[in-house]
Amino acid sequence: MRILCALHAHLGLVAALRRFPELRNEPVILGEAAELRLPVIAATPAALAHGVRPGQPLRHAQQLCPGAAFARLDPEATARLREGMCAALHRLAPAVEVGDGEVFCDVSGQHAVHRDEPAWATAIARAVAATLDAGPPAVGVAGSRLVARLAALRSEPGRIRRVRGGEEAGFLAPLPLESLPLDPAVAARLAAFGLDCLGAVARLSPAELQRQFGPDGALVHRLVRGEDGEGVRAGTGEQTWSERLVLEGGVGDLEVLLRAARHCTEALGARLDASGLAAGHARLVYEVEGGPPLEAAEVAPAPASSAAGAWPLVLGLLGRLQPSCPVTAVRLELTRLMPAGGRQTDMLRPGDASRDAVAGAAVRLRARFGDTAARRPRLALDPGDLPERRYVWEAPTLAAAARG
Amino acid sequence: MPDSLSAALATLRRRYGPRALLQGDAHEPVECWPTGIPTLDGSLLPGGLPRGRVVVVAAASPHGPSGRLTLLQSLAALASRTQELGYVDLAGTLDPGFLADLGADLSACLVVSPGPDRWERGMAMGRSLVGAGLPWLGLALGPRQPRPALWDHALAALAETVCKRGAVCVIAAPAPPPLPLAHVSSLTLTCAAAGWHRVHGDVTGLRVRAAVTKCKVGPPGAEATLLLRFPRPYAGAEVLGLPSVVAPAIAPAEPVPALAAAPG
Repeated sequence: MRILCALHAHLGLVAALRRFPELRNEPVILGEAAELRLPVIAATPAALAHGVRPGQPLRHAQQLCPGAAFARLDPEATARLREGMCAALHRLAPAVEVGDGEVFCDVSGQHAVHRDEPAWATAIARAVAATLDAGPPAVGVAGSRLVARLAALRSEPGRIRRVRGGEEAGFLAPLPLESLPLDPAVAARLAAFGLDCLGAVARLSPAELQRQFGPDGALVHRLVRGEDGEGVRAGTGEQTWSERLVLEGGVGDLEVLLRAARHCTEALGARLDASGLAAGHARLVYEVEGGPPLEAAEVAPAPASSAAGAWPLVLGLLGRLQPSCPVTAVRLELTRLMPAGGRQTDMLRPGDASRDAVAGAAVRLRARFGDTAARRPRLALDPGDLPERRYVWEAPTLAAAARG
Repeated sequence: MPDSLSAALATLRRRYGPRALLQGDAHEPVECWPTGIPTLDGSLLPGGLPRGRVVVVAAASPHGPSGRLTLLQSLAALASRTQELGYVDLAGTLDPGFLADLGADLSACLVVSPGPDRWERGMAMGRSLVGAGLPWLGLALGPRQPRPALWDHALAALAETVCKRGAVCVIAAPAPPPLPLAHVSSLTLTCAAAGWHRVHGDVTGLRVRAAVTKCKVGPPGAEATLLLRFPRPYAGAEVLGLPSVVAPAIAPAEPVPALAAAPG
């Protein structure tokens, strides 16, 4: 496995600077509230230069940097930024984890477009910088999450630090003990033994470490070799793929809008085809001059895995949108992305795949037309005298979901 | 046959499938789903309900009962014992308790309720399910017919999907059956009430005179009388023990020879 870690500015700080762009080069301290006993969440380089550090009480930070501006964390703007980052990085990597100040991507295997690891990592770094509208992040690539993060910490903004497979021990050896996420008591005892770097600890046998530290010894032994056993904790956030086409000078001709929608559909369809994914929901947006955008959304009757599959859905959306003023841009968004091929069937269960496919179609009908559109009746356990009390309605469920 | 014509025929079959061109005397075998009711399978239908075709159970008269919905629900109950089925309730008359009394396995029934008189939506929803692999679909159309222009394309798409997937599709239609439906139908069974069936003065069923008025998969013209015996509520053993559609008890089922021999 190969994991990429990119360190960037705190998303809450980026959101605050977007709201107050005049503070971009000023010392800004981000906190959850104006309450001065709460800790600092993040700070701009200008504030860091005054000795402000995340985790300090805001009052202390104010004393260190009296001229700093204090910004409150905006959770909604931060979440939007995180979603945008997720959507941008999912185009480049199959598994993405976006934290507040760091991003992890699974870069195992080979990318279809970016053939080698440096090119792939560069593309991801550029995507991070473009999403945040900031400078390039510091990037580390290694065989484990811990080593990738340490490599990124020892890299510089705009540089990629790669630790090749088998070179983890050499990379970790000169690093101080504080680099590892260890219990401070364990770290203090190791330091008391005169072990001041990871290489010195790595020379100890696991038996010796376990004898001294018990179960923590085995953990130390694995960590000093860069074996954290954790991959990328991919978020379950919904992916959105979008394609936007800007129209010169505003257009009211329906034929041109049709062609623009067709162009967006083909671009997204090619991406779906290349990724082996299918979209379950589509949204078409007309950006118009001097007014709010017009939009229409629809749940797909069946997941669309290509441009041909998505086009009837987009055509339906086109018919629903009636622009009354010139359209300046057309945007198509596909969401509810899922693997196009379906799931592994239960070989010993008769009709498993078809029954699941039918249940999946029924679930989509409910999403499109409401909960009463497709239901299964079940005889009531305690029927009353009225005919309508003899049965209850149930939502159709997928067999895989029912089995847990 | 000239070589150029043979090549053209081969090209058409390759492009549009083997059924695109058939010889005039070619008889294509039709796969059927046997209902298990001797009168239906033996006399009225070509061994059962044809797969991949649209079967219409139509009322003969717009006035009074015809038994078409009861017959459709009886067939659905029979189908549910062996396979998954969908029931598109455009008539708004489905009572799942009655379906259970007919012996249906409700866990295999998927009831689709598109709303009253939403024929286009109902057919599109049925098409989605058949396209996903549903092997048996029943549609109960209500008495009020929307304009055919609103739903005939949805019906054509449904028929195409049923043909592609080889599903059984039965549509219960009011009288007179709309023209697009009559056109799409491969087998039309017209039902007319022949009187109530009474036991000790109580109504226990409906006698129905069924006639095959259109059949693309066999000779039309066959007629039979069916007894649709109403199940008694809460009498599970009786419902399970008795077939809901039984062999004719009132009039013998005999196809009319002259009509049966007529070409399809």
